[in-house]
Amino acid sequence: MNMKRYIIGVLAVAFSFVGAKAQVDRSLAVIKSMLLGFEYEVYAGTNIGGASPLPLPAEIREINSYSPELNLQIGATVTKWVDVQKKWGLSLGVRLETKGMETKAAVKNYGMAIIQDGATVSGRWTGMVQTRYHSQQLVFPLTAVFKAHKRLKVHAGPYVAFAFSNDFDGYVYDGYLREGDPTGPKISFEGDSRANYDFGNNLRHFQWGMQGGVTWTAYRHLLVNANLAWGCNDIFESSFKTVTFNLYPIYLNVGFGYLF
Amino acid sequence: MKIFRLMQVMTLFLSVAWLSSCIENEPLNAECDIVSASLPEGLLVRPAEIVDRKDVHSVTFIVKNFVDVTALAPEFEITPGATIDPASGTVRDFSEEQEYTVTSEDGQWSKTYTVIAKHDDPIALKYSFENVRVVDANSQGGKCDEFLELSPTDPTIINMIWASGNQGFGLTNGKKGPETYPTYQADNGVVGRCAGLVTRSTGTFGSMVGMPLAAGNLFIGKFDMTNAVNKPLEATQFGTSFYYVPIGLRGYYRYTPGEKFMELVNRKLVEVPGRTDECDIYAVFYERTADMEYLDGNNVLSDDNPNIIAVARLDEEQRKGAADWTHFDVEFKYRPDKSLDPEKLENGVYALAVVMTSSIEGAKFSGAIGSALFVDELEVVCL
Repeated sequence: MNMKRYIIGVLAVAFSFVGAKAQVDRSLAVIKSMLLGFEYEVYAGTNIGGASPLPLPAEIREINSYSPELNLQIGATVTKWVDVQKKWGLSLGVRLETKGMETKAAVKNYGMAIIQDGATVSGRWTGMVQTRYHSQQLVFPLTAVFKAHKRLKVHAGPYVAFAFSNDFDGYVYDGYLREGDPTGPKISFEGDSRANYDFGNNLRHFQWGMQGGVTWTAYRHLLVNANLAWGCNDIFESSFKTVTFNLYPIYLNVGFGYLF
Repeated sequence: MKIFRLMQVMTLFLSVAWLSSCIENEPLNAECDIVSASLPEGLLVRPAEIVDRKDVHSVTFIVKNFVDVTALAPEFEITPGATIDPASGTVRDFSEEQEYTVTSEDGQWSKTYTVIAKHDDPIALKYSFENVRVVDANSQGGKCDEFLELSPTDPTIINMIWASGNQGFGLTNGKKGPETYPTYQADNGVVGRCAGLVTRSTGTFGSMVGMPLAAGNLFIGKFDMTNAVNKPLEATQFGTSFYYVPIGLRGYYRYTPGEKFMELVNRKLVEVPGRTDECDIYAVFYERTADMEYLDGNNVLSDDNPNIIAVARLDEEQRKGAADWTHFDVEFKYRPDKSLDPEKLENGVYALAVVMTSSIEGAKFSGAIGSALFVDELEVVCL
C-alpha cells in the first residue's frame, strides 16, 4: 500500500507540474519554440526488466521468482522536427530512473569464482541464487523520431546513463558447491546455511545502450509511452571478474506523458 | 491508476514469459562421484569410508578377519547418469588396492578412485607428530599439512591419518602454504617437531558463510567436508575402532590464549570482554552402534550420550594455558553402570576419539583469534 501511495504521490507531483505548465500553455517561449519546430514532453512511467546474462546459459534451470520492483521514471524530451511535414525528427531527453530487480533462480553446475582480498573461491554451484539489483540513474537518450501516424510516433536511438547509486547483493542457498570443478569436494548448503555476497561497489557508473519505442497520442496532450532500453555494456566494471558472465540491463518502460 | 497497474501486470507477464522461454534444455550431469559403497552383509567391521577430496579419491573397506580379500565384489552407487569401470559388482582381487574410474553423464569429467579392502590394523598409541604429508587444500594451489602415524611394526605403512578442519579452511585460504592453516606441523616440539593448532580468521569468505574463525583442531576420525558449512558440528566425526582398554591420556602441551575472545552472534563475531579463551585436549572411549558410528561436535562430551564409556580430559585449570611445555597425565573416567564386553573389544565394536583444539568453543566459531596450542609426545595409556 505504501508503494501505491508513493506512486500516486510521484505522479501527482509530475502532473501538477505539467498542469501548472499547461495553464501557461500559451506562454510566449513555448509558442516560439513550437514555431521553430520544437516539441516538449514530460513523462512518468515504470521500468520493468532486469539485468540478465545473454543468452541465458543452460546452467540456469529455472527462474523461481522474479520481482521487477517498482522502478519509477520521470523525464522530459525535446523533439525537433527536421522536415516540413513533421514526419522526421530528433529527440534529446533526460530522465531520472531506477533500474532494479529481485530474482530467485535455480542453477545447475554453474561456474563461479569469487575474488576478494586477493584470494579466490571458485567452483560449480548447483542450487538457488537470490539476487537484488537496484540502480538509480540519470539517463540521456538521443533518438530519431518518425511519425508513423498522426497519433503514433516511433523512436529509436542510443542513450548514455550515469548511475549515482548502485546496489547488487544477494546470497546462495539450498544447494551445493563443487570446489574447483565438478570433481572437487562437495560442500552442502542446506537449511539456514547460505553465502552472502555484495558486489554493489563493483557496479559500473557509466552505462550506455540502445532504446526504442512508441508514443501514442491518446488525447491532444496525453501520451502513452512504451519503450525498450537495452544496455550494451555489462553492469559491472570490466576489471570485476567475480561474476564470470556479463549482465546487461534490459528494461521495458511504460508510462504516460504530457505533450505541450 | 488501473491502467497503470494493468500495464505493470502485462509487462511483468511478458518479461517472465520472455525469460522462461530462454531456459535451455537441462545440461547432463557433470559429477562423477561414488556416492556409496558396499560389500555383502556381515563382511565389514564398519561402513565403507569414502574420501573425496581435491587430491584423494578413495574407498576403504575394513573387513572382518575371516574375510578373504582376494575375491570381493563391491557394489557402488554413483552419480545419476555416470558410469563406472570396472562395473559395480565385478569380482576382483583386493590383496592389492584396485582402481575404479567413474565418468560423468556428460562425459567431460572423471575421477579414479582407489579402492582398498583390508583387515583392521589397530591404531598406534603414541603420537610424536613427526610425520606429515603436504596435501592440496583447494583448487587454487593451497597446501596444508596432514599428520600421519606410521605402523610401529612397519614404518613404510601408514597406520592412521589424523583428521582436521584444514580442508574446510582451505576453501577460504587461496594459495597459501601449510603454516597459515589452523593445524600444521610446528617447530620446537618437546622432541623434534610437534602439532601446532592456532585459531585463525577465515577472512571475507568465512564471513560470507557466517563462519568467521576456525580453531586449530586435530582428531582421530574424519572431517566431513560436505557438511563443513551446513552442519559444522557434524562435520567433525570423531573416533575409530579401538581394541584396547584405555586408562590414561598423557603428553606435553603449551598454550597461549589469543587476546580477544569473540563470540558468534548472528553470523558475526562480537567481543566478550573479560573472557579468556581455553584449549581442550580429550579422549573419549565409546561403543560404536549403527546410529552412532562416530561421535561428533554435538555429542562427543555429552553426559547423556549412552554410547560413551569413558572420558579423559584436561581439567579446567589445565585448559586455561601453560606458557612453557607442560606435562599432563589425565585419567579415563569410566562412567558408572558401564561394563566392557571382551568379545566386543576383540571385534572392534569399541572406538576411541582423541581430540585437540586451540579454542574450546571453536566448533561454534567462537574463540580468540591467535590462540595457539602446541602438543607433543601424546600417548594413550592402556591396560
